[in-house]
Amino acid sequence: MATRALIVDDHPSFRRFARKLLESAGCEVVGDAADGAAAIAAVRELGPDLVLLDVLLPDMTGFDVAEEIAAGGNRPLIVLTSSRTASDFGSLLRTDHAKTFISKRDLTLAALAALASEAA
Amino acid sequence: MRAVRLLVWLAGSALCVGMARAVGPVDQPDLIKHRAIVYFATAFVGLTIGVLVWERRPDSRTGLLLTALPFVEVLSQARWIFWNHALPVTIGFASMSLYAPVFAHLILSYPTGRLTTRLDRVFVAVVYAYATTSALLFLLFFDTRAPHDRYEIECWDCALPLTHVAWRDVHRASHVLDLTLLVVAPAFIGLLIRKLLRATPGGRRIELPLSIAAFAAVAQLLAHFALNGSPDSPWTDTPWFWISIVVSLAVPLSLGVGLFFGRRARSAVADLVVELQRTPPGHVQEALARTLGDPSLELALWLPDQASYVDSRGAKVELPAAGPHRAVTVLGSSDSPVAALLHDPALLERPGLLEAAAAAARLALENERLQAELRAQLSELRASRARIVQAGDDERRRLERNLHDGAQQRLLSLGLALQLARAELGAEANGASSLLVEAEDELRAALDELRELARGIHPAILTDQGLGAAVRSLAERSSVPVRIVSLPGERLDESTEAASYFLVSESLANCAKYAHASTVRVSIARRNGNAVVDIDDNGVGGADATRGSGLRGLSDRVQALDGTFLLESPVGGGTHVHAEIPCAS
Repeated sequence: MATRALIVDDHPSFRRFARKLLESAGCEVVGDAADGAAAIAAVRELGPDLVLLDVLLPDMTGFDVAEEIAAGGNRPLIVLTSSRTASDFGSLLRTDHAKTFISKRDLTLAALAALASEAA
Repeated sequence: MRAVRLLVWLAGSALCVGMARAVGPVDQPDLIKHRAIVYFATAFVGLTIGVLVWERRPDSRTGLLLTALPFVEVLSQARWIFWNHALPVTIGFASMSLYAPVFAHLILSYPTGRLTTRLDRVFVAVVYAYATTSALLFLLFFDTRAPHDRYEIECWDCALPLTHVAWRDVHRASHVLDLTLLVVAPAFIGLLIRKLLRATPGGRRIELPLSIAAFAAVAQLLAHFALNGSPDSPWTDTPWFWISIVVSLAVPLSLGVGLFFGRRARSAVADLVVELQRTPPGHVQEALARTLGDPSLELALWLPDQASYVDSRGAKVELPAAGPHRAVTVLGSSDSPVAALLHDPALLERPGLLEAAAAAARLALENERLQAELRAQLSELRASRARIVQAGDDERRRLERNLHDGAQQRLLSLGLALQLARAELGAEANGASSLLVEAEDELRAALDELRELARGIHPAILTDQGLGAAVRSLAERSSVPVRIVSLPGERLDESTEAASYFLVSESLANCAKYAHASTVRVSIARRNGNAVVDIDDNGVGGADATRGSGLRGLSDRVQALDGTFLLESPVGGGTHVHAEIPCAS
């Protein structure tokens, strides 16, 4: 069974391409969300295996969203991503609730495929 | 008005001389005749001082009341000096009781000549009513020829007052009226103490001499009453006569002392002129306060540019509304004021002094005003520099955000699209595929440059996480090893954080480019409300803040925030940047 993925990002064009990329990596994209609140609701409703989560959302940060998701019942594999690099976030990146951080610049098919198989 | 005062003085003097001379031919012992001369001379002194005060302060009622007092005294004596003439006897009885109300009115209304409180007005009105009643009793019913045991000797050829109606025994009534004095006198003392307590410090200083004289007068009255049962001391009783003379002199003389102090104050103005030459700018207020004897005095300087008053430090001052505790005197003309004095209203009682001091201080005030203007402009300039830096920071932050949300996002999506295209093509289209790989590499390089540009404009980590994290991230990326000694754990205000960050960032960049250093030490610590930034390397030195715009711009930025910037870079001795930037939070 394919890995069920959720995309959380406020940029529609990114969501569109990320969906195609994840699908190419062998995932089934079960939904997407444009902000933190919608993301939390979608996780509760859809129970995805993998969440591609943007750090800078309009209503809250991806770190907060990851914490909220972890506090709920679902334990999906959370991958934080951002157009900024890890050094832009410094100590904030040390979060217990996310699996890893991948800068959007380094978001490749191969990397996603590896994560997808881990989440499945 | 001056002619009226001169006439009053001449009439009063003539009265004093005439009455004193009239005692001469009267069949009286020499003692009485001599004491009459002392008595009327005392009245003459009071009259003269009264007219002088009236002349000096024509708009105050004090002079008039002080002049009226000896008149009332002298005229009341007419009833026995001219005992066989109806008119003087009438005048004598009419003026006999007036001394108390005029006295109370004078003392309670000093120094303005106005009764300021309702209680004072009621009290003075009551005493006038008492005096009128008492006078009417004698004018209508008193008969000197009737046998009376205490008031006057039996006198068969004494004239009756012109207003005499019929004989009634007024003795008992007048005794009751005398007793009311026992109530009135302590009430008067109470009102006087209340007046002194309510006065401003300057006002109290002015009122004190006359108040002491008034206390003495009332004490004498009560003491005589207690010992002899009558308020009036007869001329034959030696100690009481002299005591009453001293007290009568004390009232006008203590007012004269006020005049004398006014003169003294004028010589203080002369001292002020000399002192102001040595007064450094910003201290004219103290000099004026000393001269005018009002430590609470404040100086507000008018700045025409700003159409407002400022203090000597250049801070805006709102003139208070004039009230019982604060008065405002504007110096200069009303359409082009030079300055305003905020002072004790008591100074208004000596308007000449205030004007003289202001005239003396005019040059110094002009100087002070220019200084204040300069300071006000300087603080305005400083504020506007800080605002410009703040606006610049805000703009940089906005630019960074726009780059991040706009171009960067589109390029990232483009990168994903290229990857997808490559995946779609599969292994067959080798040429196209390698072209796509090249495009992706190019795109990644463009993204990196864009990110560096955005970070240089305003790093996101500084906005989101503050100075500590931002400097740590700088240190991680630096090509020269950085040793961080200390960093603030808490957030500082935005401008301070931005200035400190760019100071470190520019210094590290310079260090990497020119210093040939093997290590650089960075320390940012909060000390005495400042962020103290130190960046020291062990390189070749020789950096010059006046050359190149980088450090120069940072020095300007730090100074715009009211901070200090110091660059030490001896050749061969490393480069040391030290800055202290005020931080509010």
